[in-house]
Amino acid sequence: MASAVPRAAKRLRLTNTPGYVCTDCRRAFAASTQPRLQQQPPPQPPPSQHVGQTAKTTHFGFETVAEELKASKVRTVFSSVASSYDTMNDLMSLGIHRLWKDHFVRSLNPGIRPTPPPPRPPPPPPQSQRILDIAGGTGDIAFRLLDHATTTNRDPHTSVLISDINPQMLAEGRKRCLSTPYHATNRVSFLEANAEDLSAIESSSIDLYTVAFGIRNFTHKATALREAYRVLKPGGVFACLEFTPNLANPVLNALYKRWSFGAIPLIGQLVAGDRESYQYLVESIEKFPSQREFAAMVRETGFLVPGDAEGGGWEDLSMGIAAVHKGVKPV
Amino acid sequence: MALRNVLRTPASIRPLLLQPPRVLYHSYEHDIPPPYRDAESAILSSAIAHVPALGFTQETLTLGAKDAGYLDISTNLFPKGAFELVKYHLVTQRLALKDRIQFPGEQTGVGRKVRSLVLERLRANADADVVRRWQEALALMSLAENIPASLRELSALSDEIWFLAGDVSVDTSWYTKRASLSGIYAATEVYQTTDQSTDFRDTELFLDRRLEDLRVVGGAVGNTLQWVGFQGGALVNLMRSKGVRI
Repeated sequence: MASAVPRAAKRLRLTNTPGYVCTDCRRAFAASTQPRLQQQPPPQPPPSQHVGQTAKTTHFGFETVAEELKASKVRTVFSSVASSYDTMNDLMSLGIHRLWKDHFVRSLNPGIRPTPPPPRPPPPPPQSQRILDIAGGTGDIAFRLLDHATTTNRDPHTSVLISDINPQMLAEGRKRCLSTPYHATNRVSFLEANAEDLSAIESSSIDLYTVAFGIRNFTHKATALREAYRVLKPGGVFACLEFTPNLANPVLNALYKRWSFGAIPLIGQLVAGDRESYQYLVESIEKFPSQREFAAMVRETGFLVPGDAEGGGWEDLSMGIAAVHKGVKPV
Repeated sequence: MALRNVLRTPASIRPLLLQPPRVLYHSYEHDIPPPYRDAESAILSSAIAHVPALGFTQETLTLGAKDAGYLDISTNLFPKGAFELVKYHLVTQRLALKDRIQFPGEQTGVGRKVRSLVLERLRANADADVVRRWQEALALMSLAENIPASLRELSALSDEIWFLAGDVSVDTSWYTKRASLSGIYAATEVYQTTDQSTDFRDTELFLDRRLEDLRVVGGAVGNTLQWVGFQGGALVNLMRSKGVRI
């Protein structure tokens, strides 16, 4: 009964608009007010608001933010998760991220395997492979690449340049480097840079460009891809390991989404005390383009994508939770 | 791909998602697109030259990449590694078959043409000097992830041979001919890897025996089916004459 339900307090009506408006009347009213409104000058923006009316916006998770702000917001997120990055990854992917990273590095096969020099013609000059690991602050991928090159391919000359936008992640990487056999060599170097502006690196100087779980944080992925194309040597490889927004199987996808949006921010809150950063992380995965779209972007930049003829220009991992995209710069 | 999925994507990248149509038949009007892109065929053709010395391995592929002016890391263009080298050999030899042998007159029958085409394809293996490395290739082809692609190539070769021999069948024999030729070709190629005779004469005799088997067995099976058919028809007519309503 309506009388038994306590009525909400009556709101003070500041305008005299009735609760129900006939749509025909509203349309007529809107048409009649148009000429009147156009004669008034548009309202001036308050001077304190530094984002202009015509500024471009992008997504930061499910929020919409100005483009200039996204980079600094991403930096803030990763500053807060830097120290517990590994724990965070282990909890989010139940430790499977290590298998993904191992598979990623093994399939790239970095390192120049020594071959016996040809007898008659003079032996070729010694060449070393230069690898650039983007958004690889803590050095997960970089040290795996060096280990593979040194151990599996017996190549002691491969070097990795670790680049990250976030100085705390790089500091974490430097700390971890000390416990590897590479800290006393010149095989690891660090660079603080935005992936969209790698002007510190000269063109056509990199053999292998890797970005693992970083590209979804970039404001302009196409710009980052073009920078990758610029710094790579002809014949160089672009490789990207990233989460995908949707799994192929709809039932598994529903379960996966429940886990992502339900459990992960909660784990972040309990383990690291930072719910917002983990919420951002799962939202940024959701906003990332699908494998097909991203492969199209890689192709559009000018890379040759392996496996194109069979229709799969990427490799799905764990039934589509993550995917590896590769591209080769043509000669 | 599904129209619905295409329409869901932003219009700017839609053209990139639509794949070029794959032609699944021999067309006289349309050229088939080349099976490999320029970069891929450059690396693979350089690598094939090293196969007799180094075999079908990742090292051969790396050497081919360096010879073609690419980097060691460029072999990431080939996710299946050494198997792609095997597949390249199979595809290029199949496409080259029509240029290697032609039948100018109308004299030879389809059977004899098939025999000549199979021998020519086996001779191509010998000319490329991969026969002593072919057992490695067979091992790669038999890996579980490579079996579908290998079988597809075998059936494509069988189809190519029958087409070039002038087969115009339009009934189920189209399928049985190709299936039987796939089996015969595979067996003969395996035999060739162990053949030490000059000019692979033993392989020719092996092929002749297999084709003879096919003729004899095919004839016997056909005759048996015909006999069974007659007996069945006779039985049905007998029952009808006794008043059974069938």
